[in-house]
Amino acid sequence: MATNDLVLENVTKRFGGLTAVDRLDMEVCQGQIYGLIGPNGAGKTTVFNCITGIHPCEEGRILWKGDDITELAPYRIAAKGIVRTFQTIRLFPQMSVAENIMSGRHVKSSQGWWHGIMHTPKSRRDERKNWLKVEEQLEFFQLHEFTVQPVQSLPYGLQRRVEIARAMAAEPSLLILDEPAAGLNDKETMALLELVFRIREMGVTILLIEHDMDLVMQLTEKLTVINFGKKIAEGTPAQIQQNKDVIEAYLGSDDDD
Amino acid sequence: MKHSDYYGYALFFLALVLLPSFLDSRWQAVATTFIIFTIVALSQDVVLGKSGMFNMGQALFFGLGAYTSAICNTKFGMPLLATVPLAIIIPALFGIILAGPIIHLRGDYLLVVTIGFNIVFVQALQNNLLGLTGGPNGIFGIDVLQIPGVDSASQSAVYYICLAALVMVLIVLKNLEKSKAGRALTYFREDPLAAESIGINTRVYKIFAFAFGAGIAGLAGTLYANQYSAVSPEAFDFVQSVLFFSIVIVGGSSVPGIVLGVFVMFVLPEIFRDFATWRYFIFGFAMIFTMILRPCGIWPATYGKVPAYILKGKQHGNK
Repeated sequence: MATNDLVLENVTKRFGGLTAVDRLDMEVCQGQIYGLIGPNGAGKTTVFNCITGIHPCEEGRILWKGDDITELAPYRIAAKGIVRTFQTIRLFPQMSVAENIMSGRHVKSSQGWWHGIMHTPKSRRDERKNWLKVEEQLEFFQLHEFTVQPVQSLPYGLQRRVEIARAMAAEPSLLILDEPAAGLNDKETMALLELVFRIREMGVTILLIEHDMDLVMQLTEKLTVINFGKKIAEGTPAQIQQNKDVIEAYLGSDDDD
Repeated sequence: MKHSDYYGYALFFLALVLLPSFLDSRWQAVATTFIIFTIVALSQDVVLGKSGMFNMGQALFFGLGAYTSAICNTKFGMPLLATVPLAIIIPALFGIILAGPIIHLRGDYLLVVTIGFNIVFVQALQNNLLGLTGGPNGIFGIDVLQIPGVDSASQSAVYYICLAALVMVLIVLKNLEKSKAGRALTYFREDPLAAESIGINTRVYKIFAFAFGAGIAGLAGTLYANQYSAVSPEAFDFVQSVLFFSIVIVGGSSVPGIVLGVFVMFVLPEIFRDFATWRYFIFGFAMIFTMILRPCGIWPATYGKVPAYILKGKQHGNK
C-alpha cells in the first residue's frame, strides 16, 4: 500500500432513520485525481463530511497514511494534510483575499497562543515566512491584484479560486474539492481544469465531487459512483460511461416510472 | 497601518498626555475613569468584537481584578503594584475555568450564561464570600499604587499610571492582531466551520480569547481600585457589563470606535451633569439608530492589513 492513500472501509453514516452513506468502500491512491459522483442527494457531500471529521461516521473506518482518522476533529484532520473546500463557498467574507489565504498557514505556523500577547524574534520570522508563502499562493492563483480586497466583494468565480488557494496554502497532501465548478461559466471551468492539473503536478492527491460530467470525464482517473448512499460502480471514466447501473441512476430506467 | 492612522494615534496620545495640565483634580478623575473604562471596553472587544462571542459578563473579570488587588492589599498587606500580576492572572484563570465548559454555546445561549455568571459573582461579593469581600459595602482604604521614585499620590500621577497601562494594552492588542492567535479569533468569528476545516482548534482559541480579555479587564480592575481606593459590588454588576457590551456593538470593533463609545457613555454624562439620567435615553437612541444605519458600528473594524512586503509593486487597478 502506498503511503499517502486514503482508504474508506465500510463507512456508514445515518441521520436519524436515513442512511446517508451505506457501507461505502473506497480507496484513493497517491497522485490520483479521484472523482465521486452521483445524482442529487446521493450522499456525496456526506462522504466528504465523514472524511474531514465534520460529521464522523458511525460505522466503518477511515484510514489516512495507515492511521485511523475516523474519530478525529476537523482541525486535526486538516493538520494531517487533508484540506477541503465547500460546495457553498465558505470564506471569511469581511477579510481580504490575503488574510483568507493566510488562514491556510495556520497549521504550518510555529507560533503559540502566547505569541498573541508578545512576539519573539522567532515568531516574527515565522510571521514573515508565512506571509511570503501567502504571496506565493497569490502568484500561483493569479490573485495578486485582489490582495487587499474583501472576498465578499469578489465575483463568484474568483471566490472559488480564493477558497482553493486557501486550502493549498496549508500545503495539503490530499485536496478535497466539493463541486468546484458549480456556478462557474465555461471559461472559468476551463481555467479550473487547468488549475487542478497544475495542483496535481505538485504531488497533491485530489478527490472531488462534480456534477459537470464533461469535466469529470476529462479530469479524473478513477471514479466512484454512489446512489442513495451506496456504491453502484467504480472504475475509469470510460468504464463508468458504459455502466448500465450508472446510466440508470442518472437517467432513470423504464421500470422506474 | 495607514499614515492617517499614525497621525490619529499621535494626536490622540498627545492630547491625553497634555490633558491633566488643563484640568482640575475633579476632571482629572473623570479622565482617569475614562481611560480605565476604555481598557475594559477594549478587553470586551477581544471577546465580542474580534471573536464574536456574546459575552455579557465582562464586569465580572473587571471586578475580579479590582477585588484581587483590594484583598491582597488590605488583607495581606501587599503593595498595590505587586498585586498587578495577580490581578491579571487570576481573572485570566477564571476566564479559562468559566469559559471552558460553556464555550460550545453560541450567540444568545452564551449571552444568558455569562449574565448568570455576573449575577452570581455580585451575589458572592455582597454576601462577603470567605469573609474577604467585605459584603455590600465592599473594601475601603486601599493603598495608592506606589511606583518607586515617583510621587504617585496626586490625581495626575494616578492618571499617568492609567495612561501608561492603556498604552501597554494597545501595544499588546496590536501584537495580537498581527499574530496567528489573533487572526484565528477573527477566522472563527467569520465562519466557524471553515476555520475548523482549515485547521484551527476553535475551542482552544475561544477559551484563549476569554482569558485574554479577562486578563486585560483584571488589569483595569487594579487601576480602578487605585483610583477610588475602594471597591464595592455594584460597580461590577450586570448593568455595567451591558454598557461595555453596547459600547463595542455601537462604537464598532475598532480602537477609535471604542474610545468614542466610552466617551459618550461615561464622559458626556459628567460634562452634562444635569442630564446624567438622560444618558441612557440618548445612548438608547444612539444604539437604535446605529444598528439600523450602521450595523457594524459607528467605526467598524477594517481588514486587509497586509504587510507591505507582499504588496510592493504588485498592485494593479483597485486601490
